[in-house]
Amino acid sequence: MKLALWSYEAPAHVGVTRAASSFAGVHTVLRAPKGDGYATIMFAMFERLGVTPPLTISALSEATLAGAPADIGRTLADVDQRLGPEMIVVTRSATAAVLQEPLDGEIRMLAPGAIRAQIVEPDTHPVRDTETSAFAKTVCEIVDRVALDGVPRTREPSVNIIGPSLLGFHDRSNVASLQRMLADVGVTVNAVIPLGASTAQLRNAGAAWANVTTALELARPTFERLHERFETPYVEDVPFGEAGTYRFLDALGGLLEIPRARIRAAGRGAQLAWYARTVDAHALSGKRVAVFATPSTAAGLARVLGEELDMRVELVGTYVLDHDAWLRGRCERLDTEVLVTDDYREVARAIDRLRPDIVFGTQMERHSASRFGLPCAVVAPPAHILNFPLGYEPFIGFDGANHLGDLVNRTQVLGLEHHLIETFGPRNQGRFAEAAPDGTDEPVATAADGAPRWDDGAEKLVGRIPFFVRKKARTNIERYARDRAIAVIDEATVLAAREHVGG
Amino acid sequence: MFDSTADALGRDDFCSLAPIGWLHHKMQDAFFLVVGTRSCQGFLQTALGVMIFAQPRFATALLDEDDLSGRDTLTALLPIVQSVVDEHRPAAIVLGSTCTPEILKMNVGGCAPALEAASGVRVYPARLDGFDASYTQGEDHVLAAMIARAPEPTEPNLVVLGCLSALEEAEIRLACEGMGVPTPGFLPSESALALPPIGPQTVLIPVHPYLADACAYAARERGARVPPVVFPYGPDGTRAFYEGIAAAFGRAASFADRETAAWAACDRELAALRGRSVAFCSDALLELPLARTLRAAGVNVPFVATPRVYRKFHARESELLAGVDVLEAPDRYETFARLTSCDPDLVVANLNVANELEGMGFAVKWSTELSFQPIRGFAGAPALFGLFASALRRHQALARTTGAVGSAANPITLDFFRTPVRSAV
Repeated sequence: MKLALWSYEAPAHVGVTRAASSFAGVHTVLRAPKGDGYATIMFAMFERLGVTPPLTISALSEATLAGAPADIGRTLADVDQRLGPEMIVVTRSATAAVLQEPLDGEIRMLAPGAIRAQIVEPDTHPVRDTETSAFAKTVCEIVDRVALDGVPRTREPSVNIIGPSLLGFHDRSNVASLQRMLADVGVTVNAVIPLGASTAQLRNAGAAWANVTTALELARPTFERLHERFETPYVEDVPFGEAGTYRFLDALGGLLEIPRARIRAAGRGAQLAWYARTVDAHALSGKRVAVFATPSTAAGLARVLGEELDMRVELVGTYVLDHDAWLRGRCERLDTEVLVTDDYREVARAIDRLRPDIVFGTQMERHSASRFGLPCAVVAPPAHILNFPLGYEPFIGFDGANHLGDLVNRTQVLGLEHHLIETFGPRNQGRFAEAAPDGTDEPVATAADGAPRWDDGAEKLVGRIPFFVRKKARTNIERYARDRAIAVIDEATVLAAREHVGG
Repeated sequence: MFDSTADALGRDDFCSLAPIGWLHHKMQDAFFLVVGTRSCQGFLQTALGVMIFAQPRFATALLDEDDLSGRDTLTALLPIVQSVVDEHRPAAIVLGSTCTPEILKMNVGGCAPALEAASGVRVYPARLDGFDASYTQGEDHVLAAMIARAPEPTEPNLVVLGCLSALEEAEIRLACEGMGVPTPGFLPSESALALPPIGPQTVLIPVHPYLADACAYAARERGARVPPVVFPYGPDGTRAFYEGIAAAFGRAASFADRETAAWAACDRELAALRGRSVAFCSDALLELPLARTLRAAGVNVPFVATPRVYRKFHARESELLAGVDVLEAPDRYETFARLTSCDPDLVVANLNVANELEGMGFAVKWSTELSFQPIRGFAGAPALFGLFASALRRHQALARTTGAVGSAANPITLDFFRTPVRSAV
């Protein structure tokens, strides 16, 4: 056993589900206790799906422990009839795997034609695989099964974008940014895999001239498999930053023979390089930054911050452990410390030790950084509800470069303000420093106003009201007491007032 | 068309680890150590979200392959408990056993005495699994473990069982003082070590409809008297609750005037609700008392779905709800079919299905909020009705905008996902 407080990655079955259910027409059946079913809530809440989530639990109950069969066939039949998927992916949580139920046997025993959907059990391990590795393997396996041999290349240059999914970090914006940019250079998108890829598109996966990705760690097995089968070349690097995006398009241009002029024209809207030369950005030079993210994002972003914004990259890291060597290789030119760990406390200690000017990390680094009073921009999963914006917030491509510039801009203290603070010290000092931090906990009136007095019991009770509504509650209770000429507020007054005003 | 056996499609519920969310706020000196998989850890992290960041008082002892292949549980747990004690200095540890230890028959609970002896910190063992229990029943199991450690009473006493806010506790305490019954002890209280005496002289009164096991345990193992109760939800339920306490001590008390006053205090909320219809999807076992008080308030309740009706424990609530259809453990699609046929003004549903039902065109009140808001007692009644009334008001206000599923602002739509690729039969 190992003590865990918080993890960067979800269990393997979440990786399988995210990957499988992102394909159009694919539904996942998860064999697990219903308690493992919180992944359905993530689909419903984060993606704000107004439909049945693409995941059904085949619930393992107390009856199962007593020997009842899994009866997975019935769940499969229900899903098949009700939702009509083309493929059902069956997987199990670690808990269900421990039980070693003969699911495959049950599935093989199903009457031919009983279930119209194709049934696939990805070859992932519920304990040894991580969310990332299980995702990557599942995508590869589904693509490999469906893709047809002997498909000719498309007439015009085209790519598959591999990696984006449901519950992915800003994935929909990233795909839009890539699509827009590829259209500008005359490259069509053969398929976005898995997000929305239909079986018809997957059959023709081999028709793309090249494969590109939004996250190498999610795409690598598929890249390699498609290369084996169709000799499709791929671009490992993700287009982060303006120069990085040009470099990406140049690499792609080498494979697809895209005219350079077209690439230059596609970058017309990019402003990061110019921003870096403007007065406001001068303060960025030598600013110390730490980046902790997924491997692709960590490598890409560190390079942008170092090379395109002239910041000093003190630390680059990732929690995807099997990309340790890859990340080190990518960071050689940056002369920076590389940290590969899945323990957030180790990352927090490194941040504490280095005290960078800005941290780029996950939601967890945002919390760690705020403990040390450091600004932080969230740039990587695990995704939080805040990473499912209603609007367009890409991280990659030319549009993503602009957004990154804004992010840096908003996260750090700039230009003139910077100098004023250096000279006069931070704000919120001086005579206001004595006030309660946010004014939430002060009594609204003093006895001098003729306001009712609070006895100890009432004071204690009101102290238990959550701080963000306490002030309002106090005001209401005092108004209630004053209206009734109650001189001393006791517990009964607090309760009566609450009943009177509600809340 | 679909049967509703326990393993039917789409039983929408959370894991019974969920009550750690409120119990660790209530018992400020307790640490919750969960023995389980990365999935348990992921659930705690996802469901309890940012709570981990302030001062983590819960963690998972992740099972590894050695544990799965039969390593001695106590040997594995000892250093983990010790590190929790060293680092967090809790007054007590709630040791949760989850699905996997149950499958492996690890007997995590059986390690509690030895862990307690070795660490010097009290250990309460509780099953917090995600098999069949409704998510609120995690509290039930923790409280049962605490009852096992309560001292014997030396005189007749009253224990109020169930996690409450300070405001709710204060109301109950004042009401009991007014009736001349013993001042109640509360379980849980702010300290995981402060246990009220429980024994044959104890009248034990549960405040939540999901505490059947703890009550049964207290009656069976400690000889406590657990009278049948109406739960203190809404003015009607609160009156019956208090009068039931008085009766248990052989006293007559009338809360008729208090009930009338409390209804009057809810006037604004009730005006929005009266004559409307509210249906309940199966969720936290709170459905029966909530439906009962809504009906008493003049709301039409076409049906109530709930995970389970306890014949004895819910007897009085069931009586008061006579005439309303109660669906026990229905599956998702059976519930949806009922909703479509009765088309209520408001549907109460948990986070699993809330967005889906909104997408189908229903006005939804998400129910999870109801299990951690202070809505019990007379003083809580306006808040209770307010949660339903504000959901209705909000839907009326939003009806002026077009809230179609999806977002026009997002350049990539999920339309591929909304229409089945081949039509369902």
